[in-house]
Amino acid sequence: MERLISWLTGKRVLFSASFAVRLALVFYGEHQDRTMSVKYTDVDYHVFTDAAGLVAEGGSPYNRSTYRYTPLLAWLLTPNIYLCTAFGKILFVVCDVLSGLLIYRILRLRGLTSETARRVSSLWLLNPLPMGVSSRGNAESILAALVLGTLLCMQGQRLTWAAVLYGLSVHMKIYPVTYALPIALTLRSPETRPEEGKPRWRRFIGFTGSFVNAELLLFASVAGGVFFVLTALFYYMYGWEFLHETYLYHLTRRDIKHNFSPYFYMLYLTADSRWSQWLGLAAFLPQLVLLLAASWAFRCDLAFSCFLHTAIFVSFNKVCTSQYFLWYLCLLPLVIPHLSLSLEQGVGLLLLWFAGQGIWLGPAYFLEFEGYNTFLLIWLAGLLFLIVNCFILIQIIAHYKPTQTPQRLKVE
Amino acid sequence: MNFILLSVLTWLATCHCSNERGEKNGDHCDLLKQWLESASVSVEIGKQGFHREVIITVELSPAVLSSARVLLVNRWPRGVFIDPYQLASLRDQSDWQTLLDSAIDLEAPAHKTSGFVSYVFPTPDDPTRRRLKVTIPVHGRYHEPSSVGETFTSVFIQPPELLLRDDKCLQLNNFEPHTVVDAPCTANNSSTCPWVKIQQHQVVLYGSSQNM
Repeated sequence: MERLISWLTGKRVLFSASFAVRLALVFYGEHQDRTMSVKYTDVDYHVFTDAAGLVAEGGSPYNRSTYRYTPLLAWLLTPNIYLCTAFGKILFVVCDVLSGLLIYRILRLRGLTSETARRVSSLWLLNPLPMGVSSRGNAESILAALVLGTLLCMQGQRLTWAAVLYGLSVHMKIYPVTYALPIALTLRSPETRPEEGKPRWRRFIGFTGSFVNAELLLFASVAGGVFFVLTALFYYMYGWEFLHETYLYHLTRRDIKHNFSPYFYMLYLTADSRWSQWLGLAAFLPQLVLLLAASWAFRCDLAFSCFLHTAIFVSFNKVCTSQYFLWYLCLLPLVIPHLSLSLEQGVGLLLLWFAGQGIWLGPAYFLEFEGYNTFLLIWLAGLLFLIVNCFILIQIIAHYKPTQTPQRLKVE
Repeated sequence: MNFILLSVLTWLATCHCSNERGEKNGDHCDLLKQWLESASVSVEIGKQGFHREVIITVELSPAVLSSARVLLVNRWPRGVFIDPYQLASLRDQSDWQTLLDSAIDLEAPAHKTSGFVSYVFPTPDDPTRRRLKVTIPVHGRYHEPSSVGETFTSVFIQPPELLLRDDKCLQLNNFEPHTVVDAPCTANNSSTCPWVKIQQHQVVLYGSSQNM
């Protein structure tokens, strides 16, 4: 067993095997789609392909209803039309394996040995969840690669590249926008002189001033520049529809269809009330408070801070579906080496997480496919899942070992 | 806490009278007449929950001629929708084409939308078939929540209207009691044609309901 693991996690074997398995899944999916009534391909993949067809004809991708992504994605997938419909899946699979490689590189920069780094990154590379998601044609792996790329460049002090990738990732999906806070806290000038004894307003000015430095300004202007240039370009090309479908829809979204979110049932029942809009906005408050607290408490470890950010954001969001879990799962391998959890505890938490989803999936299946009125049970299961997620996050935070990241010393 | 309940309706329109006079004449209009009198349509609803199948079977006697056309017109209630993209993806596997009278919002709840009409044109590979079967995937919409009363709501799906025409029969004025209506000629929606609408002889409906 031990030999098998060490052979599997040999660098070349690991990356080529994980790529081969994903490719095989893509081919298997094509076969299943052709021969079985239950389709392997994700519904969204057809949306992407339809949108790619529209832009290939010179039209707007937003003429495909439910296309709510950047036009960049539709552009990227035009080979789906010209070359082969599986092109996008192969692109997603490549990004998926690239994410694994980026995890490995980040872990190495964080001072792990090659052996340990490979074993930890195999948690992503050999994980059936991202394998299934990317080979079914879900685009989340592009974002995982962009976010991990940002973190790698931050870790390696390549600030301009980090900013470019960050701007691009916020353009692709809006959720990494919250990483701006931990990134700013990482880049601000370290406090040099002891601040005690100074009046509060002087300390406040000193604190604000610590955010004004060359690194932070460079990052903000490059990332902001990339984001705004892309936004302006696509606004020019596709108009208001682009802004609405890509960004505003997600901000004001109050999805009444059943999902993991603790808010879904409230939002369904109040969908037509006057307070609905305000309830939707109020639901941002717990997220905001928790994100501020987590960013400040773990400002010395950007990867850990980003992981907590994403996990909190997803768990407390107004809409939560299983594809969102990948947003924080891709950051989990960066966190695991810093946890003092035993293997049993780790496996226990993992099983708890799956059990929480399983308990939700039961009533959700009976609602959707059997026609039982299980709304209340789905909501209760969603609340239980939130409790489970909070418990897991508390365990992770409690077992976090803050380590002085050696990368600055190493680079020198 | 309302919930969709799709009731199953079955409509059988059958007429067992034969037309002795018509058989002598091989004329297209006479064939159309025979069809009108022998045609039967049955509807059943398959699957449970939000994602269902409306299975429509049309039986015609004698067998369909190459110049003959069949059209099924469904008036769908606001409680359900058809996903046009799903239909497009099924196009390769199915021997029928669809035309919808309006754009479909795939996400709106039932009370924020309105019903729509679908025109289904069976295009069998073998034109001499007597039995045409169409399976339309339909999806339930979320309904407006209510704090009092029922925890379920019913969505009634009307049986389709069966319309027939023959490219070579242009005299459509002597088909009493059947009426002539205008409807799209083909799924391309480029023009409208006169069609003979079969009078519904008999409507049998039964509801299937599940309760908690």
